[in-house]
Amino acid sequence: MRVDDFVYHRPDSVAQAVALLKQLGQGAHFIAGGTDLLPDLKRGRESARHLVALGGLEDLRGVHRQDDGSLRIGALCTLAEVATSPLVREAFPALAEATGMLGAAQIRNQGTLGGNFCRAVPCADTPPICLAADARVLLTDGQRERSVPAREFFVGPRETCRRSEEVMTALVVAPQPEGSGACYQRFTLRGGLALAVASVAARVVLAAGRLEHVDVVLGAVAPVPLPVEACSRLLVGKALDEELLEQAGQAAAEAAQPITDIRGSMEYRREIVAVLTRRALSEAVARAEGRGRYRWEGLR
Amino acid sequence: MSSLRHIGRDLPRPDAPDKATGKALYICDLSLPGMLHGKIKFSEHASARIVHIDTSKAERLPGVRAVLTGENVPEVRFGFMRDNLALKKGRVRQFRDEIAAVAATDPDIAAEAVELIEVEYEPLPAVFCPRQALEEDAPLVHERDASGRPRKSNRLALEVGHATGDLAAARAASRHVVEGEFTTPLIQQSCMGTAGCIARFDARDNLTLWAKTQIPFLAQRDFRGALAAMGLAGRECRVIVPTLGGAFGTGLDTHAYEYIAILLAHRTGRPVKILYDRREEFACLSPRQSSVVHVEQGCDENGKLTFRDVRVLQDNGAYTSWGATYPSVMLLPATSLYQVPVVSFRADIVYTNNTYCQAMRGYGNPELTWAIESNLDELAEVAGIDALDLRRINVNRPGEVTPMGLKVTSCGLEQCLETVGRKLRWSERRGKQRGKRRGVGLASLVHVGGGGRIYRSDGSGVILRFDDYGNVHVSTGAVEMGQGLHAALVVGVAEAVGVRPEQVFINQTDTATCPWDVGTHASRGAYMALSAVMIAAKKAREKIFRFAAGAFAGEVGRNIEKRRKKNPDYRPPDFDLPASLEPEHFDLADGEVFLTAAPDDPALRVGLDRLLRAMHFCRGGDMLTVEAFYDPPTELPDWQKGRGNMSATYAYGAQGAAVEVDTDTGEVTLLGVVAVHDVGRVLNRQTLEGQIYGALAQGIGYALYEEILTERGRILNPGFTDYKIPTVAEMAFPIEVEFVETNDEQGPFGAKGVGEPGLVPTAPAIANAIYDAIGVRIRDLPITPEKILAALATRAERKPR
Amino acid sequence: MKIPLDFQLNGHPTTAEVHPGARLIDLLRDTLGLTGTKEGCGEGECGACTVLVDGRPVNSCLFPAPEVDGSEVVTIEGLAEPGQGLSILQQAFVEGGAIQCGFCSPGMILAAKALLDRNPDPEEGEIRRALAGNLCRCTGYVQIVGAVRAASRKLRASAGEEVR
Repeated sequence: MRVDDFVYHRPDSVAQAVALLKQLGQGAHFIAGGTDLLPDLKRGRESARHLVALGGLEDLRGVHRQDDGSLRIGALCTLAEVATSPLVREAFPALAEATGMLGAAQIRNQGTLGGNFCRAVPCADTPPICLAADARVLLTDGQRERSVPAREFFVGPRETCRRSEEVMTALVVAPQPEGSGACYQRFTLRGGLALAVASVAARVVLAAGRLEHVDVVLGAVAPVPLPVEACSRLLVGKALDEELLEQAGQAAAEAAQPITDIRGSMEYRREIVAVLTRRALSEAVARAEGRGRYRWEGLR
Repeated sequence: MSSLRHIGRDLPRPDAPDKATGKALYICDLSLPGMLHGKIKFSEHASARIVHIDTSKAERLPGVRAVLTGENVPEVRFGFMRDNLALKKGRVRQFRDEIAAVAATDPDIAAEAVELIEVEYEPLPAVFCPRQALEEDAPLVHERDASGRPRKSNRLALEVGHATGDLAAARAASRHVVEGEFTTPLIQQSCMGTAGCIARFDARDNLTLWAKTQIPFLAQRDFRGALAAMGLAGRECRVIVPTLGGAFGTGLDTHAYEYIAILLAHRTGRPVKILYDRREEFACLSPRQSSVVHVEQGCDENGKLTFRDVRVLQDNGAYTSWGATYPSVMLLPATSLYQVPVVSFRADIVYTNNTYCQAMRGYGNPELTWAIESNLDELAEVAGIDALDLRRINVNRPGEVTPMGLKVTSCGLEQCLETVGRKLRWSERRGKQRGKRRGVGLASLVHVGGGGRIYRSDGSGVILRFDDYGNVHVSTGAVEMGQGLHAALVVGVAEAVGVRPEQVFINQTDTATCPWDVGTHASRGAYMALSAVMIAAKKAREKIFRFAAGAFAGEVGRNIEKRRKKNPDYRPPDFDLPASLEPEHFDLADGEVFLTAAPDDPALRVGLDRLLRAMHFCRGGDMLTVEAFYDPPTELPDWQKGRGNMSATYAYGAQGAAVEVDTDTGEVTLLGVVAVHDVGRVLNRQTLEGQIYGALAQGIGYALYEEILTERGRILNPGFTDYKIPTVAEMAFPIEVEFVETNDEQGPFGAKGVGEPGLVPTAPAIANAIYDAIGVRIRDLPITPEKILAALATRAERKPR
Repeated sequence: MKIPLDFQLNGHPTTAEVHPGARLIDLLRDTLGLTGTKEGCGEGECGACTVLVDGRPVNSCLFPAPEVDGSEVVTIEGLAEPGQGLSILQQAFVEGGAIQCGFCSPGMILAAKALLDRNPDPEEGEIRRALAGNLCRCTGYVQIVGAVRAASRKLRASAGEEVR
């Protein structure tokens, strides 16, 4: 790759951006923060003749509470903005927490939520918790906006249902009902600057001490973020206890489709999934009961 | 000499302000007018015949000034065994073999040109496991040695061994015996500044090389060899060392990229820079060796060690660096860590088609101490003796001569162990926290502390040049690579000469202006350079005082006259200068010469600058420049016998760790680390602590995180995402560092070298703490969560339910 | 086709032209000659190239140069006022022994500056979190964390705040 081989475009509107991409066709890429794309271009894992920068699209920024109480997070919000947004922390704190674990300050300041979704790296940290919350991804081709459940957004490693000329505009998280609690747990081989070897997001809704609703979604152990229906089947209608936790962990481990790579073996990843599932579920319940603490507490 | 003014103070490092402001110039920051950028084409096979190289497309690319292959350059042979070629010819033996190189006007053009070089290979059999490489039918990595003689085996002709006493008898007589095999992985030194150089020829074919090196003078010798191979015998080769972004052993050898830059610069007639990117640094620069150490130790019923038997298998990779001499330093812990009457040691170093290796901080010592100290805890358990007691019983003492013949001048090991035990709250916590999955462990070390003679000279030269303003300019062949050598030199020179630290300036290391030094390794930099400084300072003071004997009275007269002019009431001091002043009447401190008999009256003190000017600007004037060369009174060991007092003194220390293990995930959390080192004498506490903290962090990486992963010789994790050096996030536990000052009689101001020791016992201390916490012993570094879970599972299977 | 840029660099209005694929670090080091920003990995894995864009630390090796148009960029060269010696933070790094080989120091200092600008009195955990993207191989980080704490105390004292 030679640096002067690129053409860099800076459209002012979504319509312009989409038009450019359509016009330039193959070899044109949207670029937001660039933290994932640039290294891939450098290593030759991606090639591009044209980069269409989304940085100037103000419509894609900001976090808003919509009339129906849902949270709309602009795709161009940096991960740092998501992690520290008072609105996100209030409406869906587990997402703020998960986003704050990702990478390092430099990456969070530059990488975007949209990028974390659209690059669809299997070990990405924001998707599992969003799937667990039944969030929706908003996409537009410049004329029509469509809303895709986050659960259907991911198709394979580095592959989504976003058409190449579509721009992700926002993520929408529905209001969390009374008695909700959620938690994202990840396992890494180092404290700082690390990628998840396995991760688990859990969201529960408690009513009268029983689990009314349970969502468990695994990350980094399948080609896409993986919801574990078996956990919901196992737990809904029951009060969580040690034995159920154990069984839920086993169910998640069985559902996982991990690979063996340099970060860990298939078998090890399954074991970790079981542990993280137990931890995520019990913390989600604790939070639903108002006992939980978020990991940014004490951090400004 | 008057009492110490600067030694022991926390004086900030002289190089720090430039580094804090971005003004320091590293190799990546240097450029020369007309400079071209070189890029290397590396092999895509671990073992193959090069059938054909097509460089025509690369040559046609605009901006390309030269394309070199092994076929169109003189054969430049290099390496510790001269088994390596700058550009390979006909055959590759490892993935990173340099097979072609380009010089172009721009780094991107050079990179594109390299992509355009087409190579046809014919794969050949390869061997990646050092054990298999020793088998009779193993493919030979090198069919011939450097002088063309056929080779029969992959074993290197580098025999290092040792035998003291009757091993079989000692083993038979032992009450308790334990053995184990301990392995260490390939490790990347991970300098934050990547490797690089600039080569430039003048019009008479003299070479200047800006190099990231720890051995400017041995490198100069190597590069002169290359010049001879290029038909330029006798031309000057000047090596200049810019600010180094870390070294940790990577600068102990010359590298193919340096020879390639030289060849490209000569071919193009323009300066050529080669700068590795991070992936090249990981994949194409030599890492620390992997090793397999088999150790067996025994003791009697009282815990007295009876014997130690050590066998080392070291994977050399495809070529040989100075790192192949690791076993020379492994001999130290093997023969001399604790008192052991009977010792046997043998090391086999084996060629494979893996990436070839080179030294890293500790030089074989961490590998061996990992095995010995882990195994010693196993012996303590079998013998039913507390692990700290076992070490106390066998502790080294001053005055001892060890089986290797090391003469222990001073030794604070016992005090180090006691302090570590106290700080860890050993008796309260050891073996008593398994319910909480917490444990404590410790380990000791011995290392060279006064140079390490593995070359015919272990010397270091220094030149002190005094200018007209009272400043001292220091030239040394020793290298500042981040460790704080210049800080030590500033306080040492200020102290030994008698000037203020701000009057001391350290010149850039440059073979054209600095005196010879064997290299900055073996924790010897400050020790050797300061030993030389002490000699030079003595010469300077003698000369200053000889001159003062004649000039002092006149200068004092001028002092008094000046004061009178300013203040008519001024009364001269009530002191009669002796009629004839002798050199021994004088002292020099804080940049002023004075009489020892009357040190306090300002009128009786004369600035060194005034005396120097008086000396310079008079009839038959002279300038003050002194030099000294220090080569310690040590022996080049006989490697086959493993005997010889290779260092002027030895550094000792002990480290402890407190850990908690998550038995669900296998994660180890460090709760605290204690490091107590016998440093002889603290020269600059802050710099010293920095050396220990930094080495400790590297030891923690070695223990828990770091490993270069390979698959049939190809490196799988050439980046910091998956090669995990510790970040500040993991280093979030209390670290207590304490020093034992034994004031070594050999050392400058009593000091010992301490650059490496912090790394040496870290891994076994942590492994021993993990065993204390959960009863699982990992013998294979790094101790990953996955290994711990696997070991816990194995143990659970073995235990009847 | 080069892209014209207009931005603030270390407090000075700056114009430059860059290749479309240039990274911010290329603009700083190659075009503008500010070599204080170091390239440690080129892939956002080490933080050596950290600079501040609109007050936030970013990896300049991952930052598309065209995106700095209209922004405020601070590099290590912009910390000390000319003739005023080192900044309090730089001085704390020098005096605290937080610098060894120094290659990570510019990025480390800028990451610490961004933290202290936002929060003059950070807890140790916050310091570690803020610096977790900056690798150092020499120091073991102990004296770096100490220097940031020392700078925090000094900055608050100079701002008239009471120092604990």
